[in-house]
Amino acid sequence: MTIAPARERTAAAATETRRRARPRQLWLSGLLAILSLLTVAPFIAMLIVTLSPADEPTVPYAWPRTLTLDNISTVVSSSGFVRWTLNSVVYSVVSVVIILLTAAMAGYAFAKKRFPGRDIMLWSFIATIMVPFQAMLIPYFVLVSKMDGLDTYWGLIVPTLANSQAVFLMRQFIRGLPDELFDAAKVDGASEWRTFWQIVLPLTRPILATLGVFVFLWHWNDFLWPLVVAQSGDMRTLTVGLATLHGEDVPLAQLMAGATVTVLPCLLVFALLQRYLVTSIATTGLKG
Amino acid sequence: MARMKRATAPWRQRWREPAAGLLFVLPMLVLFVVFRFVPALGAVGMSLTDYKISGEWEFIGADNYSRLVGDPVFHASLRATLVYVAVYVPLTVVLSLATALLLNALVRNVGLFRGALFLPYVTSFVLAGVIWLWVYQLDGLLNGLLGRIDVGPVDFLGDTALVLPSLAVVSAWKGFGYSMLILVAGLKAIPSEYLEAARMDGAGPWQRLRSIVLPLLRPALFFVLVVETIGAFQVFDTIYVMTGGGPTRASYTLVYGLFDQGFRFFDFGYAATMGVVLFLIVLAFSLVQRFVLDREES
Repeated sequence: MTIAPARERTAAAATETRRRARPRQLWLSGLLAILSLLTVAPFIAMLIVTLSPADEPTVPYAWPRTLTLDNISTVVSSSGFVRWTLNSVVYSVVSVVIILLTAAMAGYAFAKKRFPGRDIMLWSFIATIMVPFQAMLIPYFVLVSKMDGLDTYWGLIVPTLANSQAVFLMRQFIRGLPDELFDAAKVDGASEWRTFWQIVLPLTRPILATLGVFVFLWHWNDFLWPLVVAQSGDMRTLTVGLATLHGEDVPLAQLMAGATVTVLPCLLVFALLQRYLVTSIATTGLKG
Repeated sequence: MARMKRATAPWRQRWREPAAGLLFVLPMLVLFVVFRFVPALGAVGMSLTDYKISGEWEFIGADNYSRLVGDPVFHASLRATLVYVAVYVPLTVVLSLATALLLNALVRNVGLFRGALFLPYVTSFVLAGVIWLWVYQLDGLLNGLLGRIDVGPVDFLGDTALVLPSLAVVSAWKGFGYSMLILVAGLKAIPSEYLEAARMDGAGPWQRLRSIVLPLLRPALFFVLVVETIGAFQVFDTIYVMTGGGPTRASYTLVYGLFDQGFRFFDFGYAATMGVVLFLIVLAFSLVQRFVLDREES
């Protein structure tokens, strides 16, 4: 008897709120639409210039009457664009594979094994988050050049593999897996490596996927390190290549075409995995 | 047979786990030692030498540091960095807070708008630089629009007073999506009962924002503030692409100066010293963050 009126009151209040909320929702949508449009406007302008024929005057404020892929094919066939794309793919994909594997191994050891020096190792790994890459640029460069790694793939890739965010994230995730699983594997006589391969890796698939996306974007978008390691034109990644194209005074339409090609993988990742990216930033604070 | 096997078991059992742990950590440990710890010590070591690109060096004590203190170019780069940070951080925090509040209040199509606002974040700073260079040009996108209302042309990147704010806008555009998502998550964590109760008590939207939402959002806001500040001190890519540190060193920031000293003048010892200074700045902000968070927890 006492509950019913209260429920009625909340129900009435809820309808009242909803009735009042409708014009407010419209306002919100309108405002967000404007902000969203402003945010994507530079991309749209980039696309318009890319797809406009060369003989037409560049008018980025209106959609071109005829569309063409000429600018894209010109920029892709010219210079070292294909090679740069290949370099970016190698840099990103190889780094993703090695970081996921080694970080999962280290994360498993830190989460589930006892061994001397474990805690000191973990904390010293984590402490390196506070040291920005740029602060160490010079010693990195000297180290890699002493190892004859300048202008090589390994010199490009290996120094970026010691990734503390990845290790920490894997360790946190694996810690949440029940110990019984690993005890059962031990009782069954599974080797350590088999336990890792058949229990740890399959169970950490969601976090591996998230981490993989981030590591891919970090490397695909990376600039300063590829810039200093690449001594010859052939070792440039796409970001470095794009910066050189701009320095070489190529026509705007071709520069924008190059930019469009560079951003395609990011857009693909974004289109397919937006939900993943959004939830993982919200829950782990991973920064790209 | 079974007995003998069991007799060796305790010894092997005792060593099996630590050995496995060490072996699993080993690849990452090697990577960290060679490519994190050694360069970190190397940075400090090199800052005490006059290391040249040829590899020749002599120990010169704290000379690099005293040279920094007296170097007008370094002073200018420090000032440029601080101005950049002072524009970028408030701009990004306000932008991400505003969009987060709007997204949080929206009922439908949240994913669509969130996606559009977050889009620049997945692209590179080089791309942002290339596009915005054209946006800012004298005959570029923005001046074209401004021309229609008879304003300008404005030389966004050629004016010593405008160049840093213009660069900050580019980075804010590229980066605010991240902080927006962090703040949306923070807003979602605020219990709706609090807001409902305040509404019942007759508190308006502005009042609810000021006395309930913002205080409860403080940890997330603080995180965003520190992360964006640390990031802003490291600005490089857009400057390399858009201004090359100019005009007349107006955008010659800390990391750009480090790059310039290292890879144009090949003065590695001096450049490494600037890296140590950058590290100390970032460290200070990280420690402030730790300190404040610890105090709030207790």
